[in-house]
Amino acid sequence: MATEQSQTPQNHKSTPKPIESETNGEPIFSPRFRSVAAMAGWDEEALLLASLIVEDTPERESKQRKRPDLPFKTPPPSSRRKRRVKRANPSPIPSVVLDLDEEGTNSGQEKKRGEEESCTISTDAEATAVSSSSVPALPCIDRLREELSCAICLEICYEPSTTPCGHSFCKKCLKSAADKCGKRCPKCRQLIGNGRSCTVNTVLWNTIQLLFPQEIEARKASARDMKSCEAEERESPRDHSYNVRSRSVRPAMLISRDVNTRRRRNLPSQDEDAAYAMRLQREEFMDVFRGTQEQVGISSVSLARANLRAMASRANSLRIRNRHL
Amino acid sequence: MSISGGGGGGGGVGRGMSWCSTTSVSSSGKRIQKEMSEFGADPPEDCSAGPKGDNLYQWIAAIIGPSGSPYEGGIFFLDITFPSDYPFQPPKVMFKTRIYHCNVDLEGNISLDILKDSWRPTLTISKVLVAIQSMFTEPDPYNPAVPNVAHSYLEDRAKHDEIASEWTMRFAR
Repeated sequence: MATEQSQTPQNHKSTPKPIESETNGEPIFSPRFRSVAAMAGWDEEALLLASLIVEDTPERESKQRKRPDLPFKTPPPSSRRKRRVKRANPSPIPSVVLDLDEEGTNSGQEKKRGEEESCTISTDAEATAVSSSSVPALPCIDRLREELSCAICLEICYEPSTTPCGHSFCKKCLKSAADKCGKRCPKCRQLIGNGRSCTVNTVLWNTIQLLFPQEIEARKASARDMKSCEAEERESPRDHSYNVRSRSVRPAMLISRDVNTRRRRNLPSQDEDAAYAMRLQREEFMDVFRGTQEQVGISSVSLARANLRAMASRANSLRIRNRHL
Repeated sequence: MSISGGGGGGGGVGRGMSWCSTTSVSSSGKRIQKEMSEFGADPPEDCSAGPKGDNLYQWIAAIIGPSGSPYEGGIFFLDITFPSDYPFQPPKVMFKTRIYHCNVDLEGNISLDILKDSWRPTLTISKVLVAIQSMFTEPDPYNPAVPNVAHSYLEDRAKHDEIASEWTMRFAR
């Protein structure tokens, strides 16, 4: 563990290259991580997203380092991958430890390590056996895999949800089953309550995360991809309605809520943000303009509204500036 | 025979995304792929199944007539078409080989509850094939696709078996 602790922060500055890539706006990832990410099918957007996540959760990372064997919450992907690579490697390639200490000095070895990583990733199927190294000597791992698989998607249960009749499925699978073929248990066809309200069985979920960290990580990554895709799809129609609505006077609450939801999803591009700020400002201006034209006494309500709006736009521009720095 | 081909078109095209793109497969595609590899690793006895060609949603399967039944010695081919929202909807399974059986009509449609109302998303194609296989030895004359055959099965079992084995010789060899 000692080597690893010293190694995790090194990921970020191990090579001289990150300085270059800083101009691309992604200072966090070493080229090696990017190559691994590319192999895992991450596109630029996913990388950017990951960088946002890493930026946003410094505390978690440090916690992670304190007890690195408990892969519960989403750790920054880079350290997780490193750990996995390290874990998976020792038996086939004995020189790994040495390699870790000397990394960053020598690009030849860098390349070699890249190959090793590609090895471990491409042989993910064999890694079934290797993955048990996280849970040392579990001979029944295959049976566990079978037992903890969702009978709908046939993969390891992701966020398992348990029906009243005692059968567990991925939350998402159970939801689609309830949507598409009625409120019956997909396994025993017993009537179950509304599938929409299904909750995650935390004990089971934590157990699964402990036993199959690799699979879960992979699915988390793909879920993140899916989410960003969906968000993009949702983005355009929303903007439409926004334009229509912005012509009438909008209650300030709505705007601030919009800002919140955006922040929660944390994936609007900078362009969109800028456009959003522009619209807010224009709206503000229009409001003031209308006020002076009609010479109506400014009621306290509209004042508060304008204030709120100004605050929202200021927060937004602040955020944008931070992003640029 | 010609009618059976018609069902095939629908499978697999969801939200304008083509199923054949290897990087982003729909959830049904993923599941079918998973089933395919699991079937390959551990196929049920006397059964085989797999995609017909490039299309993951169109499979062909074969079941060998179980010994001790009038279908012994025959190889029966089936067409399987997965709907795009598989596994939430059952696959369409049709006999391509003619068979004298009260639960299979002349066009190859099968009257089997798990392929209709009793379908569950947790069923797999392997389980479906096993169910069809057990249909060979235990026909269900009370849920017939061909009432005549069901009648003959109930009234004159010997004659039924004779005809069935004759059809097997003629069509399934």
